[in-house]
Amino acid sequence: MTLSVLRRGPVPRTPAAAGSKLLAWPLLGTLALLLAATLLAAQFGPVAISMADWLAPWRAAHDDGSAAFSGAAHVLWQIRLPRVIFALLVGAALALAGSLTQALFRNPLADPGLLGVTTGAACAAALTLVIFASAAAPLPPAWRPWVLPVAAFCGALLVCFSLDRIARWLTPGSIAGLLLTGLAINAVTAAVIGLATYLATDEQLRSLSFWTLGSLAGAGWSLVATMAVLLALLVPFACRLARPLNALALGEAAASHVGIAVPRLRGWVVLLVALSCGAAVAWCGVIGFLGLLAPHLARACVGADLRRQLPFSMLLGGALLLLADTLARTLAAPAEIPVGIFTALIGGPAFLLMLRAAVRQQGGSV
Amino acid sequence: MRGLMPSRRDALALLLGGVSAAALPGWALAAPSQPRIVAAGGAVTEMVYALGAEHLLAAVDVTSLYPEAARKLPSVGYMRTLSAEGVLAMVPTVLLATEDAGPPAVLRQIAAAGVQLAVLPAHNRFDGMLDRLGRIGELVQKPAEAAALAAKLREDWRASEAQVAGHLAQRQQRLGRPLRALFVLSHSVSQVMVAGGETTAQAMLVYGGALNAIQGFNGYKPLTPEAAIAAQPDLILATTQGLEAAGGVPGLLRLPGLAETPAGRAKRVVALEAQFLLGFGPRLPQAVRQLDSAFTEALAGQTAA
Amino acid sequence: MTTDWAERLPTDFAFAECREAWRMADAPQPPAAAGSALLTLQQVQLRQPGRSGASIGPFNLALQAGEHVAILGPSGAGKSTLLKLMAGERPPQQGELRFDGRTLAGWSPAALARRRAVLPQSHAVAFSLPVALVVGLGRVALDHDPALASVTGEALALAHAGHLTTRRFDTLSGGEQARVQLARVFAQLWDAQAGLLLVDEPLASLDPGLQFELLDAMQAFCRTRGHALVAVLHDINQALAGFERLWLLQQGRLMGDLPPNASALAPLENLYGIQLRSVPGEDGRLAVLARRRVA
Repeated sequence: MTLSVLRRGPVPRTPAAAGSKLLAWPLLGTLALLLAATLLAAQFGPVAISMADWLAPWRAAHDDGSAAFSGAAHVLWQIRLPRVIFALLVGAALALAGSLTQALFRNPLADPGLLGVTTGAACAAALTLVIFASAAAPLPPAWRPWVLPVAAFCGALLVCFSLDRIARWLTPGSIAGLLLTGLAINAVTAAVIGLATYLATDEQLRSLSFWTLGSLAGAGWSLVATMAVLLALLVPFACRLARPLNALALGEAAASHVGIAVPRLRGWVVLLVALSCGAAVAWCGVIGFLGLLAPHLARACVGADLRRQLPFSMLLGGALLLLADTLARTLAAPAEIPVGIFTALIGGPAFLLMLRAAVRQQGGSV
Repeated sequence: MRGLMPSRRDALALLLGGVSAAALPGWALAAPSQPRIVAAGGAVTEMVYALGAEHLLAAVDVTSLYPEAARKLPSVGYMRTLSAEGVLAMVPTVLLATEDAGPPAVLRQIAAAGVQLAVLPAHNRFDGMLDRLGRIGELVQKPAEAAALAAKLREDWRASEAQVAGHLAQRQQRLGRPLRALFVLSHSVSQVMVAGGETTAQAMLVYGGALNAIQGFNGYKPLTPEAAIAAQPDLILATTQGLEAAGGVPGLLRLPGLAETPAGRAKRVVALEAQFLLGFGPRLPQAVRQLDSAFTEALAGQTAA
Repeated sequence: MTTDWAERLPTDFAFAECREAWRMADAPQPPAAAGSALLTLQQVQLRQPGRSGASIGPFNLALQAGEHVAILGPSGAGKSTLLKLMAGERPPQQGELRFDGRTLAGWSPAALARRRAVLPQSHAVAFSLPVALVVGLGRVALDHDPALASVTGEALALAHAGHLTTRRFDTLSGGEQARVQLARVFAQLWDAQAGLLLVDEPLASLDPGLQFELLDAMQAFCRTRGHALVAVLHDINQALAGFERLWLLQQGRLMGDLPPNASALAPLENLYGIQLRSVPGEDGRLAVLARRRVA
């Protein structure tokens, strides 16, 4: 009997080997769709764009730059395209943060916004703006644009680190404790932002109101380049973490048993989440629910294996923010609705649906 | 090999085009003979209408409610949260805005598109208003009308100042001290702010011959009952819109602390339309006179609406 | 595809630490020399979680390569804690643990994972990971793993879970999940020789037939590769039938280190406070019937 179990029968062919080839097609297909969506989104807006405007730089190069761009071409190439691409990049960054947060806390309902990471970043930026803006005199002017992003990053890092610590006191796998902690953190950061609002001068107040609702207005090519460089640094590193992060789903103890250095992994994940959230908040204000929706949809499409889910959720995050931003800038043209409203309108009900599904799956308790 | 050459050249052209797209600003319209103006700010719009240059207006913002005709123009949204594309869709040559307009990044984008950005400093003084009028006169190419209007306003202003001085002297005799007023800004029942120093509201109070009862801070801060009572205002000033939002005079006086002030006990509440009162536009002399009359009436024992 | 390109990225830029942390930094260790113990515990003591003051130990134990040991004891005796100590999950407050001659603290997680696998009591896995991926996670610390697919399949077959390959983990029943976790542990130690397999109540949620099959599978797996097996069990018969040594734990102390023969009966009775009657078992080995202790 003991020998019979060792007899090598026909080995079932696991889907893992075949799947890695299958990833290429959905990934390429989604990229193509995203490109098409970007071009389409760039067509919409208060200023009408024609085919000639799309070809303007090509014509300008052929004519050696003698003809300046017509108004609509300028709007397309200097205002709308940077904004559309920025939406893709910021959406990808937020989705990355969301995927990593969910992997870190081993729960599909974890979201940097709900857990207070994004408001922590906003709160740090608000405090810096109000308290340190006047004291920022000794800084060389080249560094000034970086003060707020760095502050936002520090705020996000602090909150993420605290959450990581607090999560260990709670029941493993329980999302309720984490969400309650996020509730507390959100309350504290809202109070601090309120304090900053109180202390702010009129001019600072105008910038502060920006943090709470989120907006992609004012994005130019330099901002796009900065975000692209940041993502180019973060994304490969995050993809390297995907394989060990898969193991974290087994539980912290089991993950260390299979050979993962768990504390170090958690440290890197916290850093990555803080960087991507901090950057997104610093330049766009608080945009919520993307970190929840994009990984969820990606999981539904390609499964929970992080090696596939991470790139997909970034693509989906970019697409979702592109959609929300296109709506935000076209629905009430020529005025603009803050984009955070749309992500909240979609994300809020979606979260409730996901909560219901999770409760059903875990048999009545979360 | 030969088939590859054109495509490589095209790709290079596109790359160069992309680079030059990033480098060139450039906003060339079929050179307009007349300026097209987008006005952001109620006072700015008023001044344009006062100079008779309303035919140059392409769009206004949502705070431009006077005169009535301005409400029919296309709107570019709230002046503090402008949209670059929204403004550029109006194909303007000039964006006339006060210092309050924003966000700064959007203003930079609009300027980069070749639109002339005329940001008028917001001095809460009559002279500042005249300076703005002069600047707008230049921009709409009506300097003569601007000078004439400025002269007329100066005369008007002297009349207002005289009226205020007269009533001030009377009040000094009667009360023995200056009139203390409190400006209350209420967006909603739960959010009530009072005006401190360096605000438009305080400037108007002073022009109207009163003193700001609340001292010690600048800008708009939330109302605290103790501070309101300690300030002992004789009179409460509000905007008509704010008064409506608070639920009329009874509603306003139900706010914590206000009912216990001398103003609250005597139900002395004065309200003027927001743009008229705080706009610092060409109706400024008129506004000061109306404010002063309202103060006098209120003190004479009648509750002003 | 994503796996390949992500792993071909240059790793030398400043991430040498991470590289070591979850890759194989060492070459596979040769098995312990004959005669030297695989795992030794010297004066090991640890405070148990949840009880102030109560500590388990001191333990002085030596486990030889290839030995099969069953840990028995009443609830709360510290069996799981002892297993955690042996797994290196919790460092001892006193004493020293050596695995293959080196202290546990001296092993990097990845190198240790190649020689030692742990099957925990709780089988929960977050997200709805596919079964094949869960089993493959046992080998996640391996740098280069061309045999992943075949080892996964064989490990699942060994754990009597071959028919579950295409399922998702969260859709499985308790018993099926237990089998998949066992397959994961098999996959982890598939290539190693003279390693250590620690299992904590692996047969708890299984029907009797499956219990026998899996116990046989575990022991056959360990025997062919020379792995040592330490299992926390509640079933005395399973312990007596399949294991070479019994460690009896009570209130954090080792009450006995016995061979599974008649001499173990009296200590077992004292351990659980029951009465045991020996009956003829399979292959001439001892089997018992448990009864309430009559005062």
